[in-house]
Amino acid sequence: MREEVFDVFARKERGEPLRHIGYVDAPDAALARVYAWNTYDEERWFEMCVVPRAAIIPVNRTDGPFAANAKGGAA
Amino acid sequence: MAAFTDEELKARVQDGYIVESVDEMTEGYRKALVVQLTVQADTELMSAPSYWMAARHAPSTNTQVSAHAIIQDELAHANIAYRLLEDLGESKEQLVYGREPHEFKHPYGFDQPLDNWAELVVANGFFDRAGITLLSDVYQNTSYGPLKRALVKVDMEETFHLRHGEVWMRRLAKAGGEAREMLQRAVDWMFPMTLEWFGLPDDLKRHSGQLDYRLKGLTNDQLRQVWMSSTVPLCEGLGLKVPAHYDEQSEQYVLDYPFPCQYDAEAKHWLFEDGEITWDQVFERWKARGPMNEIYVESVRRSRGTLEGWLN
Repeated sequence: MREEVFDVFARKERGEPLRHIGYVDAPDAALARVYAWNTYDEERWFEMCVVPRAAIIPVNRTDGPFAANAKGGAA
Repeated sequence: MAAFTDEELKARVQDGYIVESVDEMTEGYRKALVVQLTVQADTELMSAPSYWMAARHAPSTNTQVSAHAIIQDELAHANIAYRLLEDLGESKEQLVYGREPHEFKHPYGFDQPLDNWAELVVANGFFDRAGITLLSDVYQNTSYGPLKRALVKVDMEETFHLRHGEVWMRRLAKAGGEAREMLQRAVDWMFPMTLEWFGLPDDLKRHSGQLDYRLKGLTNDQLRQVWMSSTVPLCEGLGLKVPAHYDEQSEQYVLDYPFPCQYDAEAKHWLFEDGEITWDQVFERWKARGPMNEIYVESVRRSRGTLEGWLN
């Protein structure tokens, strides 16, 4: 099964920054939501989101986990 | 292409430098981290079938729920560690499904059957305490940023597993009679099992890349002491016998049995009476794996491929 990486962001309380808390592999966004919610259940999150890693476009670095999208990422 | 030579990287991480991505690693650093994460991931993964088969001995629906919540956590921790390995160029697919059962790198303790509720809660009390001891040291000292962040969740949840184990050990000890005897029998084989888990003593330990690359902070013997400093007082407080005591003079915990020694997995009995063996003999026993190795590995992957079959 083809899976892609989704980065997981969450905040505990209103007013707190959205923090990168981890990532999951999933075949699509719908399952990524489920996997993220079940995997990162250590807190009662006020808000949680998932972002396909392929959609994260680095601004000032050309190395690291998002390097593949450094050039010509989603417009 | 690494930005530093191996010597430069070692010097930097000792100085507090945090590595964020594989591009910054030397091959030596990457390999040491892969070994560490593989042990971590395999240990979390194999704890799941071990706890799962024992959870059927849960004495009530509430305890079933707690036992399964712990199993769910362990699987999530395994998944997180395998995901980190993918960032280092390893394949989760290959690691989980492509290896022979004996090639997994979890400790020998997770090759053993847990046959009753007392053994499950002592596993939570002892094995998960070992997990916390090892992983909090990694959390406090690791030079790899993504692992440090991932461990926030893991440490939080392992602490819950430990509480579950300790609370139940206390209840069984208080109950007395058969419950207490079952608990003492579990402690008898699981206490030496956990001590062995920490590996070679420092005077025999070959040079450790994990310390040089600052992937951990404490040595095996130091970690063994940390584990005993919580576990021995816990057991003594419950009136449980353990083969170790605190020595006032050396200000250290000291073992009261030949270490290492041989283990009869069938009888769940340590052969103290046969005296000390060599670590080579221990490695031989570990390599041969324990009675549940194949059963546990197959239980987490027996339905592999079924879904693809349905979807295609």
